[in-house]
Amino acid sequence: MFTKSSNIAGLLFILIISSVTVLAFQGLIGFSQRGADLALLEDSYFHSILLFSIKQALLSALLSTLLAWPIARAIYYYPNIFFKQTFLSLSLLCFVLPTLVLITGFVSLLGLSGFITPFLGEDWSLYGLQGILLAHVYMNLPFAVRAMHLQLQSIPDSSWILARQLKFSRWQRFRLIEIPSLSANASLIFGFICILCFNSFAVVLALGGGPQSTTLEVAIYQALKYDFNIPEALTLAWSQFAIAGVFFLLLYRSNSVPWLSKDSTEKRWIPCISTATKGIYLLIYTGTFVFMLMPLLALLPGVLAANYSIDLITDVLQALSLTLILGVLSAVSAMLIAYCIMLPIRNAAQRGQLRLQNTLQWLANHTLIAPAMVLSVGLYILFLPLIDLDQLGIIFVLILNTLLILPFAIQQIRARVLQYDNDYALLYQSLKLNFQQRISIEWGYIKPIMLSTFALVLLISMGDVAIFSIFGNDNLQTLPWLIYQYAGSYRIHEASFASAILLLVYFIILLKIERAKYHA
Amino acid sequence: MNKLITLCLATLISSQAVIASAATDTLTVYTYDSFVSKYGPGPKIKAAFEKDCNCELNFIAAEDGVSILNRLKIEGTKAKADVILGLDNALMRDAKETGLIADHQQDVSALSPTLSWSDKQFVPYDYGYFAFIYDSTKISEPATSLRQLVDSDAKIIYQDPRTSTPGQGFMFWMNAVYGDQTNTAWKQLASHTVTVSKGWWEAYSMFLEGGADYVLSYTTSPAYHMIVESESKYKAAQFSEGHIAQIEVAAALNTSSQPELAQSFLKFLISAEAQAILPVTNWMLPVLENTELPEQFSELVTPKLVDLSIETAVTERKNWIKDWRSNAAK
Repeated sequence: MFTKSSNIAGLLFILIISSVTVLAFQGLIGFSQRGADLALLEDSYFHSILLFSIKQALLSALLSTLLAWPIARAIYYYPNIFFKQTFLSLSLLCFVLPTLVLITGFVSLLGLSGFITPFLGEDWSLYGLQGILLAHVYMNLPFAVRAMHLQLQSIPDSSWILARQLKFSRWQRFRLIEIPSLSANASLIFGFICILCFNSFAVVLALGGGPQSTTLEVAIYQALKYDFNIPEALTLAWSQFAIAGVFFLLLYRSNSVPWLSKDSTEKRWIPCISTATKGIYLLIYTGTFVFMLMPLLALLPGVLAANYSIDLITDVLQALSLTLILGVLSAVSAMLIAYCIMLPIRNAAQRGQLRLQNTLQWLANHTLIAPAMVLSVGLYILFLPLIDLDQLGIIFVLILNTLLILPFAIQQIRARVLQYDNDYALLYQSLKLNFQQRISIEWGYIKPIMLSTFALVLLISMGDVAIFSIFGNDNLQTLPWLIYQYAGSYRIHEASFASAILLLVYFIILLKIERAKYHA
Repeated sequence: MNKLITLCLATLISSQAVIASAATDTLTVYTYDSFVSKYGPGPKIKAAFEKDCNCELNFIAAEDGVSILNRLKIEGTKAKADVILGLDNALMRDAKETGLIADHQQDVSALSPTLSWSDKQFVPYDYGYFAFIYDSTKISEPATSLRQLVDSDAKIIYQDPRTSTPGQGFMFWMNAVYGDQTNTAWKQLASHTVTVSKGWWEAYSMFLEGGADYVLSYTTSPAYHMIVESESKYKAAQFSEGHIAQIEVAAALNTSSQPELAQSFLKFLISAEAQAILPVTNWMLPVLENTELPEQFSELVTPKLVDLSIETAVTERKNWIKDWRSNAAK
């Protein structure tokens, strides 16, 4: 399809991101001059936290995916449902919510003196596995809904028309059209959410109720930061890598392209649904909408109570602009790199080299499962004696941000670009188009997905705190960092205000990009 | 023409030399990020010190006290800092093991006798007692001892000793009070613990949202609410067994290129001027005896210190954490 140069470009990037991970681990190993502490693997404490991490991740992912399904169907079959665009934009918001908003929101609604707690009966306690699942479902369900909805939308019109001609019953439509279109993606979504929840830390601890809710991340944090016990940290990091990697391998199989006819981005034809079904869908939809809005609304009292001053506003606006600049830079880089990395993968797919394709995909996405804390501390240790990180740290923040959001970018654009190749590769190869013509045609096809992926990775990169706290320069503060700085010095209301501003900006960005997508 | 150019260059170079020699010395201080925040002590301390020292004070902020120590361990002798500020008494031993801490040459006789400070390398600059904070409009009869709190069924939030210094302080506290019966005490406490959070602000913000009856914080927390928010309902519970203190310390590094400046900064930290700034920006108690405090501070509880040597605590820490995580699990 493309020339060899595109292969080289993609492979080069894959090499670069892999070497960053290797460097990070080397930083840790080199410093401690010992490898991993293997004795830890026999410790029963380690086993119990491993089991718990896996259990809460699997359950969260299962709940999120299962519950997302009826909601995605509801929106799909009832396209004119109220505020649909806002709902879908809000879905992405829940995915990138700052921990402060999540924790205070849930406690104010469902905690001891929560707003909703009196309606929940005597035995209700937010804390424990149920709290963790609730928070994880809140963060990931909307994302799953959106992904599934997108997948459902790609069911070609011709499938439905054919189904009607063949007089399929509801069950047959469900079994033969819906399920195949969702199944490949569903396992991907499941695996993705699983990995995210596996790496979750502050939320799990805050809502978990005690040391029984310890995940692997806590152990890594403790080993790397509080004990500075690098051999132990290495063992934990390798274990996390291994397990998340297994999840990943099991679920990230090559997508099968939807059968029957071609994909189309315009939605014209879906089956009619009865009024009763409409009512049920409306109920499900409204319930979810309210669920998503509530913790955000719980922010309001804090925002209203904040100590407003010119200082507060200027600090927040300054932090906001830095966040936006860093975010846009990371997002743009990530999109470009993701596109380049997809090139050799697409070539492999075209030539039917499945194993090569899978290997490249796995390598490209590995930063999703590499513990961010290990990456940042490893690189910190490696580079601190070599360069002035206080001045140049911001470059590391950019690089690491880009690396960490890259898997999200790749995962989102993958299906679409592979689809494009399936449809048009032979055509434009035979037309012998030049580079510019090829790009302009391809851009028309992939523009919607590129824009919505850009929105997603922009949001995620704007939220990343952990790296900044290690590499960041105190004179340049990002908004999430400012939020936690306020929270850490009693100024919880000001932190709520800053969070509200961040969420507002997220929302505006999302709406603008969604609008641009639809005027494609 | 050539002579003109040479003359200009010579003037330029010599003027640069003059400017260079008039440039001020820089004192680099590693500290933690809430110290240098706009609402924290950093800006005022910097302004006050630079007024008299004819130098430039440069703060480099790490996430927290532990991160400062980690940075020292990584950098070793290449550390950029002249002074480190923000470790606490529990971290002193580890810090000394790096071999980088210089002796302080300060006179600590004017410091508060409660501290009975005898360390030759670290200088304390503020301290606070860990205490449980409660809402006095909701609880009219707070617990008066740690044992009473543990045995009651009051809902409590505290921090994880593995990831938080207040949490660690609480673990020391429990062990100091209960000794051999700490494991049973943990089990008893677990029965009415709401949750254990990663860090201080998660617990405190959950408490402010009404998530618990008591939260582990500092005796000075009510001062913030009284002074900044004019809110006096939050109070600290005073326990008869005594409380654990967290003493924040600073020290000069022996790799510093500005040893006299570093020492004068340490002297400044325990001077009346700095000690007056710290309580209302860092929300901790001053170490200098007879420092004038805002009147709201007189409403704070002044507990006694529990009997526990920090050396024992630091030595036993790992075992105590193991005991905690198996017994405090529900």
